[in-house]
Amino acid sequence: MMQTVAIFVGAYRELSARKIFWLALAISLLVVGLFACLGINETGISFLGWTFESPMFSTNTTSPETFYKLLFVNLGVDWWLGVLSTLLALVTTCGIIPDLVAPGSIDLLLAKPITRTRLFLTKYCTGLLFAALQVFVFSTASFFVIGLRGGAWEWALFAAVPIVTFFYSLLFSMCAFIGVLTRSSVASLILTLLAWTIIFTINISESIVNSGRIANQMEAIKIESELANTEDPVDEDKREELTGDLEKTLANRPTWDRAHFWFFGVKTFLPKTTDTLKLLDRWLLDGASMPSRNEESERGPQQAFGPKRVKRGEFQRAVKADEQSHSIWWVLGTSLVFEGIVLGLATVIFVRRDY
Amino acid sequence: MVSSQNAINNSAIDLANDLAIDLTDVHKTYGRKIRALQGVTLQVRAGEIFGLLGPNGAGKSTLVKIMMTIVRPDTAKGTVLNRGVGDPVALARIGYLPEHHRFPTYLTGRQVVEFSGAMSKVDRPTRKKRASELLDRVGMGDWKDRPLSSYSKGMRQRVGLAAALVNDPQLVVLDEPTDGVDPVGRREIRDLLIGIRDEGRTVLLNSHLLSEIENVCSRVAILVQGRLVAQGTIDELTSSSRRYEIVVEGSAPAWCAESASVRMIPAGQMLSAGIQGESCRLVFLGLDALGAQPILDRLRSEQRTVIAAQTVRESLEDLFMRAVTDPTTGLIYRPGAVT
Repeated sequence: MMQTVAIFVGAYRELSARKIFWLALAISLLVVGLFACLGINETGISFLGWTFESPMFSTNTTSPETFYKLLFVNLGVDWWLGVLSTLLALVTTCGIIPDLVAPGSIDLLLAKPITRTRLFLTKYCTGLLFAALQVFVFSTASFFVIGLRGGAWEWALFAAVPIVTFFYSLLFSMCAFIGVLTRSSVASLILTLLAWTIIFTINISESIVNSGRIANQMEAIKIESELANTEDPVDEDKREELTGDLEKTLANRPTWDRAHFWFFGVKTFLPKTTDTLKLLDRWLLDGASMPSRNEESERGPQQAFGPKRVKRGEFQRAVKADEQSHSIWWVLGTSLVFEGIVLGLATVIFVRRDY
Repeated sequence: MVSSQNAINNSAIDLANDLAIDLTDVHKTYGRKIRALQGVTLQVRAGEIFGLLGPNGAGKSTLVKIMMTIVRPDTAKGTVLNRGVGDPVALARIGYLPEHHRFPTYLTGRQVVEFSGAMSKVDRPTRKKRASELLDRVGMGDWKDRPLSSYSKGMRQRVGLAAALVNDPQLVVLDEPTDGVDPVGRREIRDLLIGIRDEGRTVLLNSHLLSEIENVCSRVAILVQGRLVAQGTIDELTSSSRRYEIVVEGSAPAWCAESASVRMIPAGQMLSAGIQGESCRLVFLGLDALGAQPILDRLRSEQRTVIAAQTVRESLEDLFMRAVTDPTTGLIYRPGAVT
């Protein structure tokens, strides 16, 4: 325990010695400060006394509590913590493992009465300290903003700390693996970003293909329903059009199903970075009245992508319901398996190598 | 938990056979070709300063790294501090300073020493107390709360020494401890090593500076191409080269030619400056001053003038050069041994 504490204290000292750590922390507080400056009233969104009229965002459609939660999840977590802060964290921590295995540094640690496995895994955990501290500060500041401005003291906000840290751990496990393999900070950073981009692309592709598959199914059901209701012989032309559309839709179904099968199969073996962050949506915004669910949106213009005969809101709800049909344990479990394999390989390389 | 840690730190390991390091048949091959160590046997007695010598690539660092578990041996029998190689209890009782150490430069000298203590499982109050004492002892008392980034190389070396001693080690392994240290600092480190030995600790010193080794080490070992070619006290190792030299006026006596142990050197060839006229130097191999007295008596009885008489033996440098030179070719052995 004494050694673990010493390594963590050393990691904190290392972080606090880096300007980028304090810069990221300052930006975090700045982002929360901007949230605090934003408000919502009957006509729209206010910012430092100015009001910007909005039919979508007003107290008529969204409560202040939901408005701030949406800001926290969609901007704070998804963009700031999930992308920009993560990039800063990777830049800051990509050198942890290469520095550990650098000649002159590793000698000092391996000569101590600590097993190599414990040393490596403890060092890996210190790499998560940056992300954990950033999210904790961000969540705490957001907690007070939502409490004071939105009137809701939402403790569930702190769920962001383990979720975002876990999300970061998925990326950092790859960073650690590449770091121990190449002993290069630059290679660790670049290859991790490349891997993240590939995973993100596969996730997005699966999401698009899945939406197409759902759209196809909903369209077919809608057409069948309309066909059943079109019994008037005068509407023979319409019946013909519907039958043609149905045949086309059903003909496309195997293609959508096959494409989704492969994308979903590949995704299953990869870490669910996007899905992990979306877990916050489930917990924080469950039941909240999303602006996209209002009546205007239900009647909204036809979308470029999606079923033509199904309302947009209905389609979006179906897609969201399908996404959330994956259990938390599927999202976390398969990601954990991936992380375990990557970390396991990195540990084996670290343990068996001569320095 | 705490009490067991203290037990590790506070109790010295009993060295039943009086050997701090007792290694036999240490083999290490890097890849398939480079045979870094080829059956090295090394014995370091408790309480001595032992010098490990060898040219670059001889396997010295590999041997030290095997003891410190940084490199995994192919085979390594024997013990370090009476425990198997890599035993955590023994590692907690060893202080180690690697050659090109890299302490984090954002830490202060005190933090470096305390971190080293914590990693060796020294409890917090003890390591704080020892950090201050040791930094004062290595002459870094006034700098202990400044970051390493402001230190010179020599100052970092001193802090490294303090860090190696923070766990009150029974065995101190130092790889080039005076690297980058000025002559005054070298003298201070030499005194420190002698102080460490006087406290009953064992020191294994790996250094290229032969004079440094000669001044402080009671025993040495010479490694060449992964093999131990010599091990013992400097006296033992140079005894075979011991000789007695007498310089007399005139040509060599006739009886000298009859003795196989006398080598005659032509006049003037190796005489020191200032000696005039014909003279002859007689070299008696394996003879000391006492054994030379009858020869001196005989020379005097023959009315010979003895210009000089002295015992001569190899310096450590001569011994080292002899060990690292291929006797058949007269060339220095190449670094490492490739199969």
